[in-house]
Amino acid sequence: MTIARGALLVLLPVIAILALTRRRRLAAIIAMGLFSLILAGVYLLAHAPDVAITEASIGAALVTFVYVLAIRRTGRLVVVGTEVPGLLQREGARVGGLEHEILAGFARHLGLDLVVRLVSREDVVAAVAQGEADIGGGGLVAGGCGEGVLETRGYLPTAVFRVSRAGQRDVEQRSDELARGYLNDVTDAVRGGKGLDVSLDLARFVCVSRLDLSGYVVNRLPGECDYTFILPSGREEMQRRLTRYLEGLRESGELDRAVGRHLT
Amino acid sequence: MRRFSMPFAVWATLFVTLFCGLVLFAFDYEGPRVDSLGLSSESLAYDTGAANLVSAIYLNIRLYDTLLEVLVFSVAVLGVHFYLGPRGVEEQVEGIPESHVIRTSAGLLLPVIVVLGIHLVLFGHVSPGGGFSGGVVAASGLLLCAVALGAEAVGRRFHETFLERIEWGILLSILCLACAPLALGRLPLTDVLPQGQVGSLVSSGSIVLYNVLIGLKVFIGTWVIIHFFMRHRGEI
Amino acid sequence: MGVLNGVTVAIILFGIGLLGLILRRDLVIKLLALGLINSSTILCLVSLNARPDGAPPLLQGNGLGAMVDPLPHALVLSAIVINFAILALALVFVMLLVERYHTTDSRRIEEEVAREEGE
Repeated sequence: MTIARGALLVLLPVIAILALTRRRRLAAIIAMGLFSLILAGVYLLAHAPDVAITEASIGAALVTFVYVLAIRRTGRLVVVGTEVPGLLQREGARVGGLEHEILAGFARHLGLDLVVRLVSREDVVAAVAQGEADIGGGGLVAGGCGEGVLETRGYLPTAVFRVSRAGQRDVEQRSDELARGYLNDVTDAVRGGKGLDVSLDLARFVCVSRLDLSGYVVNRLPGECDYTFILPSGREEMQRRLTRYLEGLRESGELDRAVGRHLT
Repeated sequence: MRRFSMPFAVWATLFVTLFCGLVLFAFDYEGPRVDSLGLSSESLAYDTGAANLVSAIYLNIRLYDTLLEVLVFSVAVLGVHFYLGPRGVEEQVEGIPESHVIRTSAGLLLPVIVVLGIHLVLFGHVSPGGGFSGGVVAASGLLLCAVALGAEAVGRRFHETFLERIEWGILLSILCLACAPLALGRLPLTDVLPQGQVGSLVSSGSIVLYNVLIGLKVFIGTWVIIHFFMRHRGEI
Repeated sequence: MGVLNGVTVAIILFGIGLLGLILRRDLVIKLLALGLINSSTILCLVSLNARPDGAPPLLQGNGLGAMVDPLPHALVLSAIVINFAILALALVFVMLLVERYHTTDSRRIEEEVAREEGE
């Protein structure tokens, strides 16, 4: 009896230290539930049955339950992006697509709520550079977003296609950078048969290629580039976590399955 | 303990260790005292008629403390009701999907838990237990029910129809029971029912009534807390 | 009993809880540490007069051995339940704060409050 009680008493501070040094809140809560249970055992061995019953039922069952109810998603992950069919698209009242699925999983992994805002391309870079949003997406290509933002390592290789047509150029490249968000302008121009000279990344090109492209010249520009997400500069920690999460997705094959679901 | 300036963490640890060491060595604890307090166990049991000495103390000799502690409990539950009440029901979170396993096991476990709770409350003056433990165990049984059936259904059936109405009535009846001896010509806070033989179910005066009322009060209070937490979260 | 008795462990646990309360920045972990301090106080009260060879404080009808002192048990029994209710109330406040500021970090909440008051 004394040995058992001594062993339990030695175990108590160990579990307490373990509980208070956990990084995840859920682990700390469950460790404190275990602590309450062992404390109830100590009370039982100290011949206090009333106290043991009360401590066990309250500390192990109710307190754990109430904490778990309270640590519901306690933060927000704000994502801005441009609407790109296949990657980030509206599905009725909600948003879907490959990037949305990746970012929703990442938000669940962090324990945050996901909030997605669909804006135009320049606003994406501006919002992320100012730190108003946590992550920027929407078919952004690595190296094409300018200074002031961090990029994760590319998660999906893509190619750049150049669609051009001789004649007047009604829709032109807005700058020297690649793949833009003026997909609606491009599709309108293709439908209308106007002149065009744009570079598009794969997802946008897939969307445009469903239209009738006779009369247009399509070149695939050499070189590889990747889709990426951008983050405000200074958030290295989240950049690391997002990169690690994307690598985990790629290694487990989940990324390929998701690409198969959304982009083909 | 991350991202704190190192000197602060070191100083804090040093200070707390020093404080604990001081208390440990200055507080000369030699073990329990051999002689008991002025309270003899025998006289305690036969005076109050309760075999469970702990019940005898907190429901007969120090009843005043227990009444005010029940009041503190009620105020805390009232606070939860007040702050989480005005919020409407949150939008539905995807909860645990309706699982056959949970339902079946809840169906098996629920009678056991409820019977254990009632036993702890009713026999609180004879064996370990009492109003507080029994109420909490019964509330965790209701919690199991809410996990298995969904908080909405249980809330609608129990909370709004039945529990909410008797919540404050029970507190009132506890206070009335404490003052009832006045009607019989005794001092308040003493026994109303006769004390039977020590160790049997019918004994120890109004300790049984107090146990039942406090058990109900703790049961309802705990359920109210859990109900509002679940409502605030959306679903379990 | 020697060195390893409930009172010593209770004081050590109190120190651990106090350190956790000071050094962790997450509000929920601070509340957990506060609960730990509660539990350590109750452990100290229960084991101040706890005998290794005692008997539970129930009149078993077979005579009275050296019974454990029932007074701390009575004091502590309702304290445990009330601690739970007050912990629930504290969690309500934490939840409301988190809804407002979208973080459980106490330092960031302080900064946001200072910024709001400064405006």
